[in-house]
Amino acid sequence: MKRFLSLISIAFLVGCVEYHPYDMRIEGVKGVNAANIERIERECASKKELKVAVISDSQRWYDELEDAIEDINSRDDIDFVLHAGDVADFGLRDEFEIQRDMLQKLERPSICLIGNHDCLATGEYVFQEVFGELNFAFTAAGVRFICLNTNALEFDIREPVPNFEFLDEQIRLSPDGGATRSVVVMHAQPYSDQFNNNVATIFQHYLRRFPDLLFCVHGHGHSFREVDIFDDGIVYYQTDCVGHRGYLIFTINEEGYECEQVRF
Amino acid sequence: MSVNRCVFRSLMLVVMLLSAGEIWAQERERVLDRREHEGYEGWMRIVPTHIKAQYAGGMGVMSVGAGWDYGQKCRWETDLMFGLLPKAYADATHMTFTLRQNYIPWSVQISPRLDLEPLTLGAYINVISGERFWVKEPGKYPDEHYYRFTSRMRLHLALGQRLRLRLPSECVLRDVTLYYELSANDLNIISKACNRYVQLSDIVKFSCGVKFQLFDCRRMQK
Repeated sequence: MKRFLSLISIAFLVGCVEYHPYDMRIEGVKGVNAANIERIERECASKKELKVAVISDSQRWYDELEDAIEDINSRDDIDFVLHAGDVADFGLRDEFEIQRDMLQKLERPSICLIGNHDCLATGEYVFQEVFGELNFAFTAAGVRFICLNTNALEFDIREPVPNFEFLDEQIRLSPDGGATRSVVVMHAQPYSDQFNNNVATIFQHYLRRFPDLLFCVHGHGHSFREVDIFDDGIVYYQTDCVGHRGYLIFTINEEGYECEQVRF
Repeated sequence: MSVNRCVFRSLMLVVMLLSAGEIWAQERERVLDRREHEGYEGWMRIVPTHIKAQYAGGMGVMSVGAGWDYGQKCRWETDLMFGLLPKAYADATHMTFTLRQNYIPWSVQISPRLDLEPLTLGAYINVISGERFWVKEPGKYPDEHYYRFTSRMRLHLALGQRLRLRLPSECVLRDVTLYYELSANDLNIISKACNRYVQLSDIVKFSCGVKFQLFDCRRMQK
């Protein structure tokens, strides 16, 4: 008993040693997005209809995120969950770890994009270790989901944001991926305070080159909004923040798509 | 996470048992608190009374520093620490600087050589080097309070316990103290305060260190 107690004490002490709140000693699962993308592509490959929940901005709203997860889990029709960024408020490693562990409680796989708060201090690097790449894409039920880092203000000119080379590559790849339609997901939309607004119209030109672009969806604004920003028929759907207890559900099938606002 | 919580509770129990032992010790009649301020006189007061080395605690992997104890029974302690967070644990190597204030209300003699300090209360402000951290938000943000916090400077609150080993009087060192602390930083305390989901075990961190009480000149002169 004594030995057992001392053993668990040592385990506890090692487990909760912190060199710095912004250090990068990540405990637990890493590369969450890659593993979940693999699962989504496998499970949704032959589906005719997709139901995707989009949550966003869950930073420092742990209680509300817990309720959101419970609400999504209580439905049995969701195929996967997209988190449009801002899992951390301060960019602390602890925040990424706690929110990652919460999102793992979703019965359906979740994919997380980077938000501007996730970029703070070492957050940008912790995000990449815990979740994965800043720009990525995957295919589910013939729909290509293009997930972009649009937090230009946080990257100065260290990184190309938005990354047109990545977009070019994806546009070239699109027919090969078996995808006939596309959806673009991002954290901050064009003309928001984070976006590189000098290239907003060029960005839209690029997006329009994707095969049958259905819509764009983003977070950052902490409210529900539907705007045809460029007046070209491409609607940008803004999902409310988890803190305001709201999320979006997109149903995509052969006839098109529907967007539903959910309050929990 | 739940295993972690269980372990956390076990550790708390150990701390409580230690404290109970301390109360039992107090009932026995002898000089319990042997702490005496044997500090320096005059300008020599600026010479630190102790040096410290600490592992973890949000101020780097290892930090070293010096400090002064003062007040009745040396209950107060102020330290300046310098720490290092190597590249292996972060994006780059960072230096940290810490200003720490401790309050150690009691000291209990448990043997001629050993004293237990059953409770230490501390607060420390830590700053970290590196371009990615700021105190005042950079000018690129649309307004001055875009994020409303500082990433460079952290306030930590800590509590802990210490064991003081008194060395023979011919030693240059007066005594050696081993300590551990449980600490939490301001941002995590805010997260915990706003969310019942966040547990104490999520935000409380362990650190430990050693304090070397330096020789004091008065005793040397005797």
